[in-house]
Amino acid sequence: MSLNLSPSSSAKRKGEIFLLYTFSALGALVLSALIVEAVGANWSDVWNALLDGSFRKPGRWGRTLGSAVPMAMVAVGTIISTKVGLINIGQEGQMLVGAAFAAYMGAHVPGPGPLVIFIVIISGFVGGAFWSGLAGALRYWRNVPEVLTTLLLVTVAANFVGYGLKNTWLLLDPDAAVGNRTQVSQQLDPDSRLPRIDIFGNNFSISVIISLLLIALTFWLLSQTIVGFRLDVVGQNQKVGRRFGISEVRQGFAAMCASGGFAGLAGALMLASGDFAKFRLVPGFTVNLGWTGLLVALVAREKVLAVIPVALVFAGLRTGSSFLAATGVERRVTDVVQGLLVLALLVPPAVLFIRDRRRKLAQVESRT
Amino acid sequence: MNELSISSIDGGSVYTGPPPAVTAEKLSKTYGYVKACDEVDIELFRGEIHGILGENGAGKSTLMKMLIGLVLPDGGGVKVDGELVTIRDPLDASELGIGMVHQHFSLVEALTVWENVALGDNSKLDRNKTRERVADLSLQYGLDVDPDDRVEDLPVGMRQRVELLKCLRKDPSVLILDEPTSVLTPEESEQLFASLRRVVEEENRAVALVSHRLSEVLLATDRITIMRNGAVIERCWTKDTDAHSLARGMVGRDVEVGFKEVKQSRKDSSKVLSAHPGENVEGSEKKFVLELSNVVTSSSSGVRELDGFSLGIKAGEIFGLAGVEGNGQSALVEVLSGLRTVSSGSVFLQAKEVPHNNFGRLAENGVAVIPEDRHDSGVVLGMSVAENLLFSNLEEGYKHGLLNKSRRDKRARELIEKFEINCTGPEAPLWSLSGGNQQRVVLARETSDKPVVLIASQPTRGLDVGAIEYMTGQLQELAKSGVGVLLISSELDEIFSLADRIGVIFRGKLAASMNREDANRESLGLLMGRGEV
Repeated sequence: MSLNLSPSSSAKRKGEIFLLYTFSALGALVLSALIVEAVGANWSDVWNALLDGSFRKPGRWGRTLGSAVPMAMVAVGTIISTKVGLINIGQEGQMLVGAAFAAYMGAHVPGPGPLVIFIVIISGFVGGAFWSGLAGALRYWRNVPEVLTTLLLVTVAANFVGYGLKNTWLLLDPDAAVGNRTQVSQQLDPDSRLPRIDIFGNNFSISVIISLLLIALTFWLLSQTIVGFRLDVVGQNQKVGRRFGISEVRQGFAAMCASGGFAGLAGALMLASGDFAKFRLVPGFTVNLGWTGLLVALVAREKVLAVIPVALVFAGLRTGSSFLAATGVERRVTDVVQGLLVLALLVPPAVLFIRDRRRKLAQVESRT
Repeated sequence: MNELSISSIDGGSVYTGPPPAVTAEKLSKTYGYVKACDEVDIELFRGEIHGILGENGAGKSTLMKMLIGLVLPDGGGVKVDGELVTIRDPLDASELGIGMVHQHFSLVEALTVWENVALGDNSKLDRNKTRERVADLSLQYGLDVDPDDRVEDLPVGMRQRVELLKCLRKDPSVLILDEPTSVLTPEESEQLFASLRRVVEEENRAVALVSHRLSEVLLATDRITIMRNGAVIERCWTKDTDAHSLARGMVGRDVEVGFKEVKQSRKDSSKVLSAHPGENVEGSEKKFVLELSNVVTSSSSGVRELDGFSLGIKAGEIFGLAGVEGNGQSALVEVLSGLRTVSSGSVFLQAKEVPHNNFGRLAENGVAVIPEDRHDSGVVLGMSVAENLLFSNLEEGYKHGLLNKSRRDKRARELIEKFEINCTGPEAPLWSLSGGNQQRVVLARETSDKPVVLIASQPTRGLDVGAIEYMTGQLQELAKSGVGVLLISSELDEIFSLADRIGVIFRGKLAASMNREDANRESLGLLMGRGEV
């Protein structure tokens, strides 16, 4: 009764995945077209607006790249913690703390521009790692489920950073404090901002290149080194890990810190690239990109390289939707359209996950 | 599929009595690609014990689970007393008079016996009435249990009686027992069979006894159905058959019943290795490669699973540790796997004491383990064969932390060939291998680095006959090459045929140890059952 996975069955599997995505995307498109037409608007207008906004109009794909960077970084971090079997869903908070650390260092550390940029980015990583590290420490010290702590720490982070933005000794810009109107941090000096690249009228910061390098580095670490091997073992069978001296505490805590670190790095890159909020930290700075990053990780299904295209698609939906208002279709309807398209990306991974688990269970059960 | 109808074993005469208590007609169940049951027909008659025999994975348990509604069939139907019925869950089955005693008990340990029996009742709880009923039942069936005992204080054999009482109280017309003797001593098994005999003869109930043990099926049943690969292979009367033909039906080829006798050459070599043959255990401590002295472990609930356990294993011998399950065997294996710390006592490896906080290094220092449940601590199902072969020796695949894939896969291919592991290659995910081949992966990994001692816990459980032959052969080879082997098993046959010395574990202590020549089944059975002769 042994079952062999022949190469043909893995090709078949790829075909199935492709079909799943195709049907799911078609379903979402047809459904949203019906909704748009039903409210009396023109579907092709909506579609064109999405495409124009995400990459067709001049300068738009540069913006899409800028949005994709933080999503991709968050997703890479999420994949690292998932690998070791931990569920980190507090990236939104870790991003914010990372950005706050970055903003503080950017405002207070003197030195030549490139050095400051480096320190800003590193402290973003440290900030995020510190924030997720709290959840990791509670997990291994007191057995508190990390799902809860990471999520709850998002609220703590928002209040913590909000407090910082009201006090000049922490983050509040002394110039802005005079009027006591807005809570913003000091703007990064022009020479401590990430350089920007201009191609065919598309302008984006080198955070795009940094994130591509980090994705490649993570891919290499996870697939080609003992680091990834250890995470895999602990993530899939802690007892086997313990027997051969691979400590789940050490691996798990390190993965948790790295996971938050990437989220914090995403926050720092957002700050230093200036794509968001003009090189300042403001309330609500992270604009839900932490949550979107989680979705990117979910769709990428633990495959680090898959993060790149998935993040681009999600970023495209985001930048494209800013053009929807101009179509005259009511905003609530365009929100539904956007939601359906996101759902189309999320359904296939969920279906695959459930089916894989069922098959594995059946395998195990039939052998006992 | 070889369909034999009941009438054919009756010598052609057509059966005309009352309809069977339960009839399964063409019951089928498929898991994924695996047909666990493929159009199985079975009839359970009143006044009979019906043995359902088959190897692990033959589909016996799935069939029984369909009869009591734990598993819903993909096809086929069930008749009770000739009427077609639908069984959606165990409550339906219970109303139809079908009860089952599961292999794994479902008792609440903190409650007393009568409380456990009353669990699941919907009516008002009447303490005195239930207690009386339990006392009556236990008298009636010779199942001696005190209704006021707490289940956690009872030995396994008694717990099973409680399970049986739970079933019998509902006055079922059909009683199904799934591998009931796997946790019992030989003596307890006999008592169980006597009770079952009473149930069928005096009360005209039907009993289905699911088992993979030839001897007990021959001893306890009237009628036998043999299953293999999800299908019924053969039906026969117990009185018309013998162990050899049953074994042939079970595995589909001729096999030797029981274990092969140990080869003489190995006996000689082990005598050379032990310095003074025939001397008693206490005298030769210097030669122990692994020694445990007064080891105590406590579980989170404070139960001492090992309670002053001492044992020494010599190089080149197989030490067979017999015992009823649940007497501390799993704690022992966990300690030696580095999965659990000891509260007191010492472990010596090659005469050096292992520090208490450093049990994780046991694996590195030559303590190989074949765990009882390989999925639990033996393999990582989601990783590849090559990766699973790597755990004990990471340098074979990683140099300075970097993957050396060609070296890793070369080693994996060598081991796959040497241990005859049937898989598509080093990259095959472990879950795609059959149970026997997964076990070979564990064996290959644990023994390829020249271990000092090998702990084999129930190494042949769940394997088919061919895989058992292979496994026992490997254990003998290893002992011959100088490895000290600790064989933990609840199968006395296995211990008798393989071990040089035999010990019995009882309530966390080594109750006795002796040379094989001095051991006999009766005294071992008594030691297993009550810790003394």
